[in-house]
Amino acid sequence: MAVVKLLETHNAPLLARPFFQDGDPGPIVRALAQTPELLQAAAPLLGTIFGPTSLDPRTKEVVVLRTSALAGCSFCTTGHSAAALDAGLRPAQVRALRGDGDLETAFEDDRDRELIRWVDEMAVGRSGIPEAVQSPIQGRFGDAGLVELALLSGVTLLLNRFSTALELPVSEDTVARLEIEGVL
Amino acid sequence: MTAVSDAIASGAVGERVWFYANYHCNLTCSYCLTGSGPAVARRLLDPALMVELAFQARELGFRSLGVTGGEPFMVSHMPDTLATLANILPLVVLSNGTLFSGPRLERMEHLRGLPISIQISLDSPDPDENDSMRGPENFAKVVKAIPKLVDKGIKVRIATTQEEIGEEALERLCKLHRELGVPDEDHVVRPVISRGRALTAGMGLSAGVENIPCELTISADGAFWSPFGPTVTNGDLDLDLLISRTVNPLSIAANAAVGLATGTSAGADATLGIR
Repeated sequence: MAVVKLLETHNAPLLARPFFQDGDPGPIVRALAQTPELLQAAAPLLGTIFGPTSLDPRTKEVVVLRTSALAGCSFCTTGHSAAALDAGLRPAQVRALRGDGDLETAFEDDRDRELIRWVDEMAVGRSGIPEAVQSPIQGRFGDAGLVELALLSGVTLLLNRFSTALELPVSEDTVARLEIEGVL
Repeated sequence: MTAVSDAIASGAVGERVWFYANYHCNLTCSYCLTGSGPAVARRLLDPALMVELAFQARELGFRSLGVTGGEPFMVSHMPDTLATLANILPLVVLSNGTLFSGPRLERMEHLRGLPISIQISLDSPDPDENDSMRGPENFAKVVKAIPKLVDKGIKVRIATTQEEIGEEALERLCKLHRELGVPDEDHVVRPVISRGRALTAGMGLSAGVENIPCELTISADGAFWSPFGPTVTNGDLDLDLLISRTVNPLSIAANAAVGLATGTSAGADATLGIR
């Protein structure tokens, strides 16, 4: 159960109502609705970053899932494990990104390995990203891609801390799916 | 002209900004929107903030202020704060009218000659019926207080809140308020709104944003669509008419209210993919 009241359609504040018109918008929006003017500002940013962009969905889920796992966010790790499967990652790869399995074995492709090394530096580093890690990513993705990767991982960290601090509830349906698919 | 003053001129947004000064009250009325009573959380609004927001309201184009609660006169600074506010914009303050005696009454002298009216609740010409809704001896205290305020040169309005009032009872009530020095134009009769304690008791008319006019209302919990917004049901603050948690600067909530009232809210077309 979350630390704060997660609002619902019947008690959604006026500025938050559009986000509830298609049904349950999920715990993040339901929590943000407590401060509707901040939800109104945050939602377009989050919706844009996590929606379709120039980065392919599989790459984005590698970044988001790995970042969330390193941040210890059970809410985001669970949700994005399912999203990673939807984006084409194999159960063994999802387990490895969650820290339950060997990354080198699960990811054969150099592109994936370089990306994961970059995310590891991005998510837990306390200084700049080493050139040996940054350079291959900049070479593959270009300046714009690097900016988007940094923003994606950074905003994921924001939501990781937000979700963990507020103890947002993990979806039981998602947990059940991950058990069936051999991720948990 | 600001977007706010345009919206006020068009009638989309009310000209008055309301302040919920507090939520506690010496009474526990059966239909109270805010579930107020002596023991509830006070949720005080800082008087300095009220004054600062009043100046901002005037700058934005609002034309008057309202102060409500709870019972505002439970708060010791209230007469002085009201005097300050009334020097910024004309003011109406809603009161149960039961606390105007002794030193509190003397301090009302500060309001003499200012553009302020005190709207006092009186629900029935029959003391028993009135007191059954508003508490023991309420009728006697109110009819005693009103002439004293009028004698101090303070304009008094009377508000009658009833699910239904008969023609004969209304006539007797009007005769009474005239005798107390309150003319017909300063008597309002309004229905019970089914929020707060009235909702719990199964009383009143259902009302929502569709049929409640927009009158920007500031409380310790944020800015609301109307004074019917920051109600409390079973101890929980109702958020369905919350506009924003940010109240200072007032322009944030005021502009959001304008957007909502005129159908141009930036959130109206929002779509999300962050479940």
